[in-house]
Amino acid sequence: MSVEDESPNLSIVGERSPVWKAPISHIGDIISNSFLVRNLVRSQIRGKFRNAMLGYAWSVIEPTLLSVVYYFLFSMLAGNPDQYYAVWVLIGVIIWGCFGKSLMASVTSLSGNSRMIHLVFFPRIIFPTTAVCANIVLTAMSSLVVIPIILYYDFTLSIHIILIPISILMAGFLGIGLGLIFAPMNCVQKDVEHLFRFIVRAGFFVSPVMWTYEMALERGVGQVVLWNPMVAPITIARHGLSGKWPDLPFEALLWSFGFALLMWIIGSIVFHKYESAAVKHL
Amino acid sequence: MSSEVIVVEGVVLRFPRQRNIISIIADFIRKRKRNFTALNGINLSINKGEIIGIIGTNGCGKSTLLRIISGIYIPDKGVCKVAGNISLLAGLGAGFSSHQTGRENAILYGSVLGYGEEKIKEKLPEIISFSELDEFIDEPIRTYSAGMKARLGLAVASAIQPDILLIDEVLGVGDPTFKKKSTDRIIEMVEDAGTVVIVSHSFGMLSNICNRLILIDNGKIVAEGEPSSVIREYHDRAAARKGDNK
Repeated sequence: MSVEDESPNLSIVGERSPVWKAPISHIGDIISNSFLVRNLVRSQIRGKFRNAMLGYAWSVIEPTLLSVVYYFLFSMLAGNPDQYYAVWVLIGVIIWGCFGKSLMASVTSLSGNSRMIHLVFFPRIIFPTTAVCANIVLTAMSSLVVIPIILYYDFTLSIHIILIPISILMAGFLGIGLGLIFAPMNCVQKDVEHLFRFIVRAGFFVSPVMWTYEMALERGVGQVVLWNPMVAPITIARHGLSGKWPDLPFEALLWSFGFALLMWIIGSIVFHKYESAAVKHL
Repeated sequence: MSSEVIVVEGVVLRFPRQRNIISIIADFIRKRKRNFTALNGINLSINKGEIIGIIGTNGCGKSTLLRIISGIYIPDKGVCKVAGNISLLAGLGAGFSSHQTGRENAILYGSVLGYGEEKIKEKLPEIISFSELDEFIDEPIRTYSAGMKARLGLAVASAIQPDILLIDEVLGVGDPTFKKKSTDRIIEMVEDAGTVVIVSHSFGMLSNICNRLILIDNGKIVAEGEPSSVIREYHDRAAARKGDNK
Protein backbone atom coordinates (compact mmCIF):
# COMPACT_ATOMS: atom_id res chain seq x y z
CA MET A 1 0.00 0.00 0.00
CA SER A 2 2.14 2.83 -1.20
CA VAL A 3 1.26 6.43 -0.65
CA GLU A 4 1.10 7.33 -4.30
CA ASP A 5 -1.58 4.77 -5.18
CA GLU A 6 -3.81 5.38 -2.21
CA SER A 7 -3.95 9.14 -1.82
CA PRO A 8 -3.12 11.12 -4.90
CA ASN A 9 -4.33 14.28 -3.18
CA LEU A 10 -1.68 14.29 -0.48
CA SER A 11 0.34 17.45 -0.59
CA ILE A 12 3.55 18.31 1.18
CA VAL A 13 3.12 20.55 4.21
CA GLY A 14 4.94 23.84 3.92
CA GLU A 15 6.02 23.34 0.33
CA ARG A 16 7.28 26.68 -0.82
CA SER A 17 7.25 28.49 -4.08
CA PRO A 18 10.67 29.26 -5.57
CA VAL A 19 12.53 32.03 -3.80
CA TRP A 20 12.73 34.32 -6.82
CA LYS A 21 8.94 34.39 -7.02
CA ALA A 22 8.64 35.72 -3.46
CA PRO A 23 7.94 39.39 -4.32
CA ILE A 24 4.89 38.28 -6.31
CA SER A 25 3.81 35.26 -4.25
CA HIS A 26 3.76 37.35 -1.07
CA ILE A 27 1.35 39.77 -2.70
CA GLY A 28 -0.78 36.78 -3.68
CA ASP A 29 -0.74 35.55 -0.07
CA ILE A 30 -1.81 38.96 1.18
CA ILE A 31 -4.68 39.17 -1.29
CA SER A 32 -5.95 35.66 -0.58
CA ASN A 33 -5.86 36.39 3.16
CA SER A 34 -7.33 39.87 2.90
CA PHE A 35 -10.19 39.05 5.26
CA LEU A 36 -7.69 38.00 7.92
CA VAL A 37 -5.58 41.11 7.33
CA ARG A 38 -8.67 43.31 7.68
CA ASN A 39 -9.66 41.66 10.95
CA LEU A 40 -6.16 41.87 12.41
CA VAL A 41 -5.76 45.52 11.38
CA ARG A 42 -9.09 46.38 12.94
CA SER A 43 -8.11 44.60 16.13
CA GLN A 44 -4.80 46.49 16.30
CA ILE A 45 -6.39 49.87 15.74
CA ARG A 46 -9.12 49.17 18.27
CA GLY A 47 -6.46 48.09 20.74
CA LYS A 48 -4.65 51.36 20.40
CA PHE A 49 -7.61 53.51 21.34
CA ARG A 50 -9.29 51.26 23.89
CA ASN A 51 -10.33 52.73 27.21
CA ALA A 52 -9.84 56.27 25.94
CA MET A 53 -12.78 58.59 26.21
CA LEU A 54 -11.81 60.53 23.12
CA GLY A 55 -10.89 57.32 21.31
CA TYR A 56 -10.09 57.78 17.66
CA ALA A 57 -10.06 61.56 18.06
CA TRP A 58 -6.62 61.16 19.66
CA SER A 59 -5.11 60.37 16.29
CA VAL A 60 -5.96 63.94 15.25
CA ILE A 61 -5.62 65.64 18.64
CA GLU A 62 -2.04 64.51 19.09
CA PRO A 63 -0.66 66.03 15.86
CA THR A 64 -2.80 69.12 16.38
CA LEU A 65 -1.31 69.75 19.81
CA LEU A 66 2.09 69.00 18.39
CA SER A 67 1.61 71.57 15.67
CA VAL A 68 0.62 74.18 18.27
CA VAL A 69 3.86 73.46 20.09
CA TYR A 70 5.87 73.78 16.88
CA TYR A 71 4.03 76.98 16.05
CA PHE A 72 5.10 78.63 19.28
CA LEU A 73 8.54 77.15 19.24
CA PHE A 74 9.53 78.15 15.75
CA SER A 75 7.26 80.92 14.52
CA MET A 76 7.33 83.00 17.69
CA LEU A 77 10.45 82.26 19.69
CA ALA A 78 12.87 81.73 16.86
CA GLY A 79 11.18 84.27 14.63
CA ASN A 80 11.55 82.03 11.64
CA PRO A 81 10.99 83.90 8.38
CA ASP A 82 8.91 81.10 6.85
CA GLN A 83 5.50 81.45 8.45
CA TYR A 84 4.62 77.89 7.40
CA TYR A 85 7.68 76.33 8.99
CA ALA A 86 5.63 74.79 11.83
CA VAL A 87 3.34 73.18 9.27
CA TRP A 88 6.26 71.72 7.31
CA VAL A 89 7.71 70.28 10.50
CA LEU A 90 4.39 68.74 11.40
CA ILE A 91 4.03 67.11 7.97
CA GLY A 92 7.59 65.86 8.30
CA VAL A 93 6.87 64.37 11.72
CA ILE A 94 3.75 62.60 10.45
CA ILE A 95 5.34 61.11 7.32
CA TRP A 96 8.60 60.21 9.05
CA GLY A 97 6.60 58.71 11.90
CA CYS A 98 4.73 56.53 9.43
CA PHE A 99 8.01 55.28 7.97
CA GLY A 100 9.72 54.79 11.31
CA LYS A 101 6.79 52.95 12.90
CA SER A 102 6.28 50.80 9.80
CA LEU A 103 9.95 49.89 9.78
CA MET A 104 10.01 48.99 13.48
CA ALA A 105 6.73 47.09 13.20
CA SER A 106 8.10 45.02 10.29
CA VAL A 107 11.41 44.30 12.00
CA THR A 108 9.62 43.09 15.13
CA SER A 109 6.71 41.44 13.30
CA LEU A 110 7.96 37.87 13.82
CA SER A 111 9.62 38.23 17.21
CA GLY A 112 6.65 40.14 18.62
CA ASN A 113 4.09 37.55 17.58
CA SER A 114 5.84 34.45 18.85
CA ARG A 115 2.78 33.20 20.72
CA MET A 116 0.56 33.38 17.68
CA ILE A 117 3.26 31.89 15.43
CA HIS A 118 3.50 28.85 17.69
CA LEU A 119 -0.21 28.24 17.81
CA VAL A 120 -1.60 28.79 14.33
CA PHE A 121 -0.25 28.73 10.87
CA PHE A 122 -0.92 31.21 8.10
CA PRO A 123 1.48 32.88 5.68
CA ARG A 124 3.91 34.79 7.88
CA ILE A 125 3.99 37.76 5.53
CA ILE A 126 0.60 38.57 7.08
CA PHE A 127 2.31 39.73 10.31
CA PRO A 128 4.36 42.61 8.86
CA THR A 129 1.58 43.42 6.41
CA THR A 130 -0.94 43.80 9.20
CA ALA A 131 1.36 45.93 11.30
CA VAL A 132 2.18 48.26 8.42
CA CYS A 133 -1.43 48.50 7.23
CA ALA A 134 -2.56 49.43 10.74
CA ASN A 135 0.16 52.05 10.77
CA ILE A 136 -0.88 53.49 7.43
CA VAL A 137 -4.50 53.72 8.57
CA LEU A 138 -3.47 55.47 11.80
CA THR A 139 -1.22 57.88 9.90
CA ALA A 140 -4.03 58.61 7.46
CA MET A 141 -6.25 59.44 10.42
CA SER A 142 -3.55 61.70 11.88
CA SER A 143 -3.15 63.45 8.57
CA LEU A 144 -6.69 64.77 8.94
CA VAL A 145 -4.92 67.43 10.99
CA VAL A 146 -4.33 69.19 7.68
CA ILE A 147 -7.99 70.26 7.72
CA PRO A 148 -7.60 72.72 10.62
CA ILE A 149 -4.27 73.79 9.11
CA ILE A 150 -5.87 74.54 5.75
CA LEU A 151 -8.55 76.59 7.50
CA TYR A 152 -6.10 78.45 9.74
CA TYR A 153 -3.52 79.28 7.09
CA ASP A 154 -6.00 79.84 4.27
CA PHE A 155 -4.46 77.23 2.00
CA THR A 156 -6.54 76.53 -1.06
CA LEU A 157 -7.78 72.98 -1.09
CA SER A 158 -6.99 71.39 -4.44
CA ILE A 159 -6.53 68.05 -6.15
CA HIS A 160 -2.86 68.20 -5.13
CA ILE A 161 -3.88 67.08 -1.66
CA ILE A 162 -3.86 63.49 -2.94
CA LEU A 163 -0.08 63.73 -2.71
CA ILE A 164 -0.44 63.32 1.06
CA PRO A 165 -2.00 59.82 0.95
CA ILE A 166 0.48 58.88 -1.80
CA SER A 167 3.33 59.99 0.41
CA ILE A 168 1.96 58.00 3.36
CA LEU A 169 1.75 54.88 1.21
CA MET A 170 5.29 55.41 -0.07
CA ALA A 171 6.61 55.78 3.47
CA GLY A 172 4.80 52.63 4.62
CA PHE A 173 5.94 50.65 1.59
CA LEU A 174 9.55 51.65 2.11
CA GLY A 175 9.23 50.72 5.78
CA ILE A 176 7.91 47.21 5.12
CA GLY A 177 10.50 46.46 2.42
CA LEU A 178 13.43 47.44 4.61
CA GLY A 179 11.89 45.79 7.67
CA LEU A 180 11.35 42.44 5.92
CA ILE A 181 15.07 42.11 5.31
CA PHE A 182 15.76 42.20 9.02
CA ALA A 183 12.66 40.58 10.53
CA PRO A 184 14.09 37.00 10.43
CA MET A 185 17.40 38.24 11.83
CA ASN A 186 15.61 39.84 14.76
CA CYS A 187 14.26 36.42 15.78
CA VAL A 188 17.81 35.18 16.22
CA GLN A 189 19.35 38.21 17.87
CA LYS A 190 17.26 40.98 19.35
CA ASP A 191 20.17 43.40 18.84
CA VAL A 192 18.73 44.13 15.41
CA GLU A 193 15.71 45.75 17.00
CA HIS A 194 17.82 48.00 19.23
CA LEU A 195 19.99 49.00 16.29
CA PHE A 196 16.95 49.93 14.23
CA ARG A 197 15.47 51.99 17.03
CA PHE A 198 18.65 54.03 16.90
CA ILE A 199 18.57 54.24 13.09
CA VAL A 200 15.01 55.58 13.15
CA ARG A 201 16.00 58.24 15.70
CA ALA A 202 19.11 59.26 13.79
CA GLY A 203 17.27 59.21 10.47
CA PHE A 204 14.88 61.78 11.87
CA PHE A 205 17.65 64.39 11.60
CA VAL A 206 19.12 63.17 8.32
CA SER A 207 15.70 63.29 6.68
CA PRO A 208 13.80 66.50 6.02
CA VAL A 209 11.70 66.48 9.18
CA MET A 210 13.09 69.57 10.89
CA TRP A 211 14.30 71.01 7.60
CA THR A 212 12.90 71.19 4.09
CA TYR A 213 14.20 70.38 0.64
CA GLU A 214 14.09 74.09 -0.16
CA MET A 215 16.42 74.85 2.77
CA ALA A 216 18.84 72.23 1.48
CA LEU A 217 18.70 73.84 -1.97
CA GLU A 218 19.53 77.26 -0.49
CA ARG A 219 22.58 75.80 1.18
CA GLY A 220 23.57 74.13 -2.08
CA VAL A 221 23.20 70.56 -0.88
CA GLY A 222 19.95 69.87 -2.74
CA GLN A 223 21.56 67.25 -4.94
CA VAL A 224 23.11 65.41 -2.02
CA VAL A 225 19.99 65.14 0.12
CA LEU A 226 17.99 63.70 -2.79
CA TRP A 227 19.91 60.44 -2.28
CA ASN A 228 17.88 59.96 0.88
CA PRO A 229 14.80 58.05 -0.31
CA MET A 230 12.65 59.67 2.37
CA VAL A 231 13.19 63.18 0.97
CA ALA A 232 10.73 62.60 -1.86
CA PRO A 233 7.74 61.33 0.21
CA ILE A 234 8.03 64.10 2.78
CA THR A 235 8.54 66.80 0.17
CA ILE A 236 5.65 65.74 -2.05
CA ALA A 237 3.32 65.77 0.98
CA ARG A 238 4.41 69.35 1.74
CA HIS A 239 4.02 70.44 -1.86
CA GLY A 240 0.64 68.73 -2.05
CA LEU A 241 -0.59 70.68 0.95
CA SER A 242 0.63 73.98 -0.48
CA GLY A 243 -1.31 73.21 -3.65
CA LYS A 244 1.26 72.30 -6.27
CA TRP A 245 2.67 69.22 -7.94
CA PRO A 246 6.01 68.10 -6.52
CA ASP A 247 8.72 70.57 -7.42
CA LEU A 248 11.42 67.90 -7.38
CA PRO A 249 13.64 66.54 -10.15
CA PHE A 250 11.84 63.61 -11.78
CA GLU A 251 14.85 61.35 -11.13
CA ALA A 252 14.45 61.99 -7.40
CA LEU A 253 10.89 60.68 -7.43
CA LEU A 254 11.94 57.74 -9.58
CA TRP A 255 14.87 56.98 -7.29
CA SER A 256 12.70 57.06 -4.20
CA PHE A 257 10.05 54.81 -5.68
CA GLY A 258 12.60 52.49 -7.28
CA PHE A 259 14.47 52.20 -3.99
CA ALA A 260 11.25 51.26 -2.16
CA LEU A 261 10.47 48.66 -4.83
CA LEU A 262 13.99 47.25 -4.67
CA MET A 263 13.70 46.98 -0.89
CA TRP A 264 10.41 45.10 -1.28
CA ILE A 265 12.01 42.68 -3.74
CA ILE A 266 15.06 42.05 -1.57
CA GLY A 267 13.01 42.07 1.62
CA SER A 268 10.41 39.59 0.46
CA ILE A 269 13.08 37.23 -0.89
CA VAL A 270 15.06 37.34 2.36
CA PHE A 271 11.89 36.95 4.40
CA HIS A 272 10.69 34.02 2.31
CA LYS A 273 14.04 32.28 2.51
CA TYR A 274 14.71 32.65 6.22
CA GLU A 275 11.42 33.02 8.12
CA SER A 276 10.79 29.30 8.64
CA ALA A 277 14.27 28.78 10.08
CA ALA A 278 14.02 31.98 12.10
CA VAL A 279 10.79 31.08 13.92
CA LYS A 280 12.58 28.09 15.48
CA HIS A 281 14.56 30.61 17.50
CA LEU A 282 11.44 32.10 19.05
CA MET B 1 -10.51 0.63 2.27
CA SER B 2 -8.83 3.40 4.09
CA SER B 3 -6.97 6.31 2.60
CA GLU B 4 -4.12 8.08 4.25
CA VAL B 5 -4.64 11.73 5.11
CA ILE B 6 -1.47 12.36 7.07
CA VAL B 7 1.86 10.81 6.14
CA VAL B 8 4.99 11.68 8.07
CA GLU B 9 8.19 10.25 6.62
CA GLY B 10 11.48 10.33 8.49
CA VAL B 11 10.91 13.76 9.98
CA VAL B 12 13.82 15.25 11.88
CA LEU B 13 13.56 18.64 13.53
CA ARG B 14 16.33 20.38 15.40
CA PHE B 15 16.02 23.52 17.43
CA PRO B 16 18.94 25.89 17.69
CA ARG B 17 20.01 26.64 21.21
CA GLN B 18 19.98 30.16 22.49
CA ARG B 19 23.59 31.24 22.75
CA ASN B 20 25.53 34.30 23.66
CA ILE B 21 28.07 35.92 21.40
CA ILE B 22 31.10 34.27 23.04
CA SER B 23 29.81 30.75 22.64
CA ILE B 24 28.77 31.49 19.04
CA ILE B 25 32.34 32.50 18.23
CA ALA B 26 33.77 29.56 20.18
CA ASP B 27 31.49 27.11 18.36
CA PHE B 28 32.30 28.70 15.03
CA ILE B 29 36.03 28.28 15.61
CA ARG B 30 35.62 24.67 16.72
CA LYS B 31 33.21 24.04 13.80
CA ARG B 32 30.69 22.63 16.22
CA LYS B 33 26.95 22.86 15.89
CA ARG B 34 24.87 22.78 19.00
CA ASN B 35 21.29 21.85 18.45
CA PHE B 36 18.51 20.20 20.31
CA THR B 37 16.90 17.39 18.36
CA ALA B 38 13.20 17.57 19.10
CA LEU B 39 12.05 14.98 16.58
CA ASN B 40 14.38 12.25 15.46
CA GLY B 41 13.07 10.30 12.51
CA ILE B 42 9.32 10.13 12.95
CA ASN B 43 7.38 7.86 10.61
CA LEU B 44 3.65 7.90 10.87
CA SER B 45 0.64 7.40 8.70
CA ILE B 46 -2.88 8.24 9.70
CA ASN B 47 -5.99 7.20 7.84
CA LYS B 48 -9.14 9.09 7.20
CA GLY B 49 -11.64 8.90 10.05
CA GLU B 50 -9.15 7.80 12.69
CA ILE B 51 -8.83 9.35 16.13
CA ILE B 52 -5.22 9.18 17.16
CA GLY B 53 -3.92 10.01 20.58
CA ILE B 54 -0.31 11.01 21.15
CA ILE B 55 1.15 10.53 24.60
CA GLY B 56 4.55 10.94 26.15
CA THR B 57 6.37 12.73 28.91
CA ASN B 58 6.70 16.51 28.90
CA GLY B 59 9.09 17.80 26.26
CA CYS B 60 9.22 14.55 24.30
CA GLY B 61 8.13 16.25 21.08
CA LYS B 62 4.36 15.68 21.00
CA SER B 63 3.42 19.31 20.40
CA THR B 64 6.28 19.76 17.97
CA LEU B 65 4.92 16.89 15.88
CA LEU B 66 1.53 18.57 15.69
CA ARG B 67 3.26 21.80 14.67
CA ILE B 68 5.06 19.96 11.89
CA ILE B 69 1.77 18.56 10.62
CA SER B 70 0.11 21.95 10.71
CA GLY B 71 3.00 23.66 8.93
CA ILE B 72 4.32 25.85 11.72
CA TYR B 73 7.76 24.23 11.55
CA ILE B 74 9.37 22.97 8.40
CA PRO B 75 11.22 19.68 9.06
CA ASP B 76 14.99 19.69 8.66
CA LYS B 77 14.83 16.25 7.10
CA GLY B 78 11.97 14.16 5.79
CA VAL B 79 8.57 15.24 4.61
CA CYS B 80 5.11 15.56 5.97
CA LYS B 81 2.20 15.20 3.59
CA VAL B 82 -1.45 15.84 4.27
CA ALA B 83 -4.70 15.72 2.35
CA GLY B 84 -7.34 18.31 3.12
CA ASN B 85 -7.38 21.37 5.30
CA ILE B 86 -6.01 21.29 8.80
CA SER B 87 -6.88 23.14 11.93
CA LEU B 88 -4.61 23.14 14.95
CA LEU B 89 -6.33 23.69 18.24
CA ALA B 90 -3.66 24.72 20.69
CA GLY B 91 -3.73 27.20 23.51
CA LEU B 92 -7.32 28.05 22.69
CA GLY B 93 -7.89 31.56 21.57
CA ALA B 94 -4.54 32.37 20.02
CA GLY B 95 -4.94 35.87 18.73
CA PHE B 96 -7.93 36.74 20.85
CA SER B 97 -7.80 40.44 21.48
CA SER B 98 -9.01 41.18 24.96
CA HIS B 99 -10.65 44.53 24.20
CA GLN B 100 -12.96 43.18 21.51
CA THR B 101 -16.23 41.40 22.13
CA GLY B 102 -16.76 37.67 21.99
CA ARG B 103 -18.56 38.02 18.68
CA GLU B 104 -15.74 40.04 17.11
CA ASN B 105 -13.19 37.61 18.46
CA ALA B 106 -15.11 34.67 17.04
CA ILE B 107 -14.78 36.29 13.61
CA LEU B 108 -11.13 37.18 14.22
CA TYR B 109 -10.22 33.71 15.46
CA GLY B 110 -12.13 32.11 12.60
CA SER B 111 -10.15 34.14 10.11
CA VAL B 112 -6.90 33.33 11.93
CA LEU B 113 -7.76 29.66 11.52
CA GLY B 114 -8.05 30.30 7.81
CA TYR B 115 -11.74 30.58 7.05
CA GLY B 116 -13.39 33.03 4.74
CA GLU B 117 -15.87 35.76 5.48
CA GLU B 118 -19.02 33.98 4.25
CA LYS B 119 -18.24 30.75 6.04
CA ILE B 120 -17.74 32.47 9.38
CA LYS B 121 -20.88 34.60 9.04
CA GLU B 122 -22.83 31.46 8.19
CA LYS B 123 -21.48 29.56 11.20
CA LEU B 124 -21.68 32.41 13.70
CA PRO B 125 -25.11 31.55 15.20
CA GLU B 126 -23.98 27.96 15.66
CA ILE B 127 -20.72 29.07 17.29
CA ILE B 128 -22.54 31.35 19.71
CA SER B 129 -25.04 28.72 20.72
CA PHE B 130 -22.34 26.06 21.18
CA SER B 131 -20.20 28.38 23.31
CA GLU B 132 -23.15 28.89 25.70
CA LEU B 133 -22.03 32.45 26.30
CA ASP B 134 -25.51 33.89 25.74
CA GLU B 135 -25.52 37.61 26.50
CA PHE B 136 -21.77 37.64 27.28
CA ILE B 137 -21.03 37.24 23.60
CA ASP B 138 -21.22 41.02 23.17
CA GLU B 139 -19.00 41.76 26.17
CA PRO B 140 -15.26 42.33 25.80
CA ILE B 141 -13.21 39.16 26.12
CA ARG B 142 -11.19 40.57 29.02
CA THR B 143 -14.26 40.08 31.22
CA TYR B 144 -14.35 36.35 30.42
CA SER B 145 -13.09 33.59 32.64
CA ALA B 146 -10.48 31.18 31.28
CA GLY B 147 -13.17 28.53 30.81
CA MET B 148 -15.39 30.92 28.84
CA LYS B 149 -12.53 31.82 26.53
CA ALA B 150 -11.75 28.17 25.98
CA ARG B 151 -15.39 27.45 25.21
CA LEU B 152 -15.49 30.19 22.61
CA GLY B 153 -12.23 28.98 21.12
CA LEU B 154 -13.41 25.41 20.85
CA ALA B 155 -16.77 26.54 19.46
CA VAL B 156 -15.04 28.43 16.66
CA ALA B 157 -12.43 25.80 15.94
CA SER B 158 -14.88 22.95 15.79
CA ALA B 159 -17.62 24.80 13.90
CA ILE B 160 -15.50 25.23 10.85
CA GLN B 161 -15.24 21.48 10.23
CA PRO B 162 -11.68 21.02 9.09
CA ASP B 163 -10.83 17.74 7.38
CA ILE B 164 -8.13 17.21 9.96
CA LEU B 165 -8.33 18.52 13.50
CA LEU B 166 -5.20 18.61 15.63
CA ILE B 167 -5.80 19.14 19.34
CA ASP B 168 -3.01 20.04 21.72
CA GLU B 169 -3.89 19.72 25.40
CA VAL B 170 -6.95 21.86 25.27
CA LEU B 171 -9.66 19.44 26.24
CA GLY B 172 -10.54 19.17 29.85
CA VAL B 173 -11.22 22.85 30.19
CA GLY B 174 -14.45 24.22 31.49
CA ASP B 175 -16.95 22.60 33.77
CA PRO B 176 -17.77 18.87 33.58
CA THR B 177 -20.87 19.45 31.44
CA PHE B 178 -18.88 21.36 28.87
CA LYS B 179 -16.10 18.78 29.01
CA LYS B 180 -18.59 16.11 28.02
CA LYS B 181 -20.06 18.35 25.37
CA SER B 182 -16.67 19.03 23.82
CA THR B 183 -15.77 15.35 23.80
CA ASP B 184 -19.10 14.59 22.14
CA ARG B 185 -18.44 17.30 19.62
CA ILE B 186 -15.12 15.81 18.66
CA ILE B 187 -16.62 12.36 18.25
CA GLU B 188 -19.31 13.99 16.10
CA MET B 189 -16.64 15.60 13.95
CA VAL B 190 -15.01 12.26 13.41
CA GLU B 191 -18.32 10.82 12.35
CA ASP B 192 -18.44 13.52 9.68
CA ALA B 193 -15.44 11.71 8.22
CA GLY B 194 -12.96 14.01 9.89
CA THR B 195 -9.65 12.90 11.26
CA VAL B 196 -8.48 13.89 14.70
CA VAL B 197 -5.07 13.84 16.35
CA ILE B 198 -5.06 14.58 20.07
CA VAL B 199 -2.13 15.31 22.33
CA SER B 200 -3.13 14.84 25.90
CA HIS B 201 -2.19 13.54 29.31
CA SER B 202 -5.69 12.44 30.23
CA PHE B 203 -5.36 8.75 29.43
CA GLY B 204 -8.91 8.02 30.47
CA MET B 205 -10.36 10.23 27.79
CA LEU B 206 -7.87 9.07 25.20
CA SER B 207 -8.63 5.38 25.73
CA ASN B 208 -12.33 6.19 25.44
CA ILE B 209 -12.25 8.03 22.15
CA CYS B 210 -9.09 6.99 20.31
CA ASN B 211 -8.68 4.09 17.91
CA ARG B 212 -4.95 4.15 18.24
CA LEU B 213 -2.37 5.65 20.53
CA ILE B 214 1.17 6.66 19.78
CA LEU B 215 3.85 6.92 22.43
CA ILE B 216 6.70 9.32 21.78
CA ASP B 217 9.89 9.29 23.79
CA ASN B 218 12.90 11.50 23.08
CA GLY B 219 11.62 12.47 19.65
CA LYS B 220 10.98 8.91 18.50
CA ILE B 221 7.87 6.82 18.23
CA VAL B 222 8.43 3.95 20.65
CA ALA B 223 5.01 2.33 20.74
CA GLU B 224 1.94 2.42 18.58
CA GLY B 225 -1.36 0.57 18.62
CA GLU B 226 -4.18 -0.47 20.94
CA PRO B 227 -4.73 2.26 23.60
CA SER B 228 -4.51 -0.04 26.61
CA SER B 229 -1.22 -1.61 25.55
CA VAL B 230 0.39 1.74 24.68
CA ILE B 231 -0.65 3.20 28.03
CA ARG B 232 0.85 0.14 29.75
CA GLU B 233 4.07 0.71 27.82
CA TYR B 234 4.07 4.35 28.99
CA HIS B 235 3.77 3.29 32.61
CA ASP B 236 6.45 0.61 32.19
CA ARG B 237 8.84 3.20 30.79
CA ALA B 238 7.98 5.66 33.55
CA ALA B 239 8.66 2.97 36.13
CA ALA B 240 11.94 2.02 34.46
CA ARG B 241 13.04 5.66 34.46
CA LYS B 242 12.23 5.95 38.13
CA GLY B 243 14.28 2.81 38.73
CA ASP B 244 17.24 4.32 36.87
CA ASN B 245 17.15 7.42 38.98
CA LYS B 246 17.32 5.40 42.18
